[in-house]
Amino acid sequence: MRRLSLAFTLFVFAIISVTLAVLILYSPPDILLGSLANPEIQFAIGLSIVTSVASTLICIIVAVPVAYALARYTFPGKQVATLVLTLPLTLPPLVAGIALLLFFGTTPWGRALESAGFAVIFTPLGIVVAQVFVNLPFMVRILRSAFASINPRFEHVAKTLGCTEAGAFFQVTLPMARHGLLAGTVVTWSKAMGEFGAVLMLAGATTMKTETLPIALYLNISTGDVDLAVAAATILIFISLAALCCVEYLDRDVNVF
Amino acid sequence: MLSIESLSIQLGEFSVQEVCLEIPDGEYFIIIGPTGAGKTVLLETIAGIYRPETGRIVLDGKDITRLEPRDRNIGMVYQDYMLFPHLTVAGNIAFGLRQRLVSERRQEDAVQEMGQLLGIAHLLDRYPITLSGGEQQRVALARALVLKPRVLLLDEPMSALDSQTRERISRELIAIRKATGTTIVQITHHFEEVHTLADRIAIMQDGNVVQVGEPSEVFLHPANTFAAEFLCIGNMIRGVSSRLGRLARIEAGGQVFYAASEVTGSVVATLHPEDVIISSEPFISSARNCLEGTVTGIVPVGSVVRIVLDVGFPLTALLTRESCHDLTLGPGRKVYATFKASAVHVIPVTAQEPEYRD
Repeated sequence: MRRLSLAFTLFVFAIISVTLAVLILYSPPDILLGSLANPEIQFAIGLSIVTSVASTLICIIVAVPVAYALARYTFPGKQVATLVLTLPLTLPPLVAGIALLLFFGTTPWGRALESAGFAVIFTPLGIVVAQVFVNLPFMVRILRSAFASINPRFEHVAKTLGCTEAGAFFQVTLPMARHGLLAGTVVTWSKAMGEFGAVLMLAGATTMKTETLPIALYLNISTGDVDLAVAAATILIFISLAALCCVEYLDRDVNVF
Repeated sequence: MLSIESLSIQLGEFSVQEVCLEIPDGEYFIIIGPTGAGKTVLLETIAGIYRPETGRIVLDGKDITRLEPRDRNIGMVYQDYMLFPHLTVAGNIAFGLRQRLVSERRQEDAVQEMGQLLGIAHLLDRYPITLSGGEQQRVALARALVLKPRVLLLDEPMSALDSQTRERISRELIAIRKATGTTIVQITHHFEEVHTLADRIAIMQDGNVVQVGEPSEVFLHPANTFAAEFLCIGNMIRGVSSRLGRLARIEAGGQVFYAASEVTGSVVATLHPEDVIISSEPFISSARNCLEGTVTGIVPVGSVVRIVLDVGFPLTALLTRESCHDLTLGPGRKVYATFKASAVHVIPVTAQEPEYRD
């Protein structure tokens, strides 16, 4: 049993690492570095970083109160709320994307938002919206379990020691949940960097306009520019690796997935 | 003076019903009762964590029922101490002072002073996770006491400690109470703590306070069978009582004995094993009861021996090891059990009375 399972582990490890290594080693280093100097790739890197940081920040701000409510309070419809809040987790991002497209494109609210200057369809703003929609449930889930694992009596004690409810939350619960918060942030950010389906649907794939790294990969592979596509892919691999190392380093106890 | 006036609260499976307590300044008051009796909910309601549905909490003549916990000046220490893991010991102790915007200098002085008082001055830079149970307990006490609370609430503070640490902390609690004059309300399900610490105790059962009084009084005269069983009073004899002059004549298991009581009807008589004298011949004395029986069991308990007799009903007596040896007691041996009518406490049994089973 031991030998068999170890053999399988080695096999799977070999498949994954060889596949990724082939991709990374596909273009010689000088061509890879040359691609990095390409304005299109540079634009994609910049846009990816800006949109992913923005969407991650929004996710944190929204998810903290939502996750806290789900972890601490009972309210009517809590189970349904939990289900709907976590549904985008299992939803294909393409479906989320088309739902967003229809919401912003065909409903009166969507058009009202657009005329108010909040145009999301085929704009960089749409990238942020798509990333938030897809990633928020991850953040909520991770934070919810982080909050739920903290005994409410810590807050009770803090209150007898002079804290308001908000004070107890910010001075006790949030610092105690910091590992979950960091893990959630890293996961959300790396997923935002790699988000493709929802972004493609809502923000489109316009060169040098809504071209994030995954979109650049897609556009370049469809036009046959394999070197640029590989460059974008390689950058994404390193980002994933860095994010994973981050999570592993930050927390060995919090289960992210 | 802390007054709880007909306080009721329902919280999930736990409830507190119409509880009334008056706790004078500086008293060490212990609430005992089994798990699920509502002790912690009561304590948390006093602290202000939960709003009672009905009733009032009055501290020093001021109604604090609707006051936020932070405005009550009531300290709370939980069973698992709830030390903030992201703060050092010093940070934990200074937590309350920081909320009150006490200057850094005075925070440091107060933390040092508390550290000295509780013997944890050498731990101030450590994080709670590196401390032993007893050390965590002291930090939790220091964190509450540094604010000089009017009332300190302790939720089973010793249950996770070994017996030596428990004894030491008990002594320290008594010393702290003396030094600060703080009223202490503690809950526990260990009644050993009751004798050494409490000025008065309350027994809780299913959200109700069934008896309040000095420990010795409660142990001698439990209010109902639940209290008697919970306090582990050695002998509880079910029988039927009738008046005979100034005494109660109790029939149980084909035997008759007498108690100084006016209770008649269906009863439970309680008798502490310490009050039973064993002899091999009938014992002529002023004691009213002398029953013949046979030894059915001998259980050594530390320095004493617990003798179980069958006198028509089971009766337990406590003897020193020496007396047990001198009487050459053994299973099957015929002996006489003598006890005073005044040592027997009689509890009426009402039909509806819930029976307590652990």
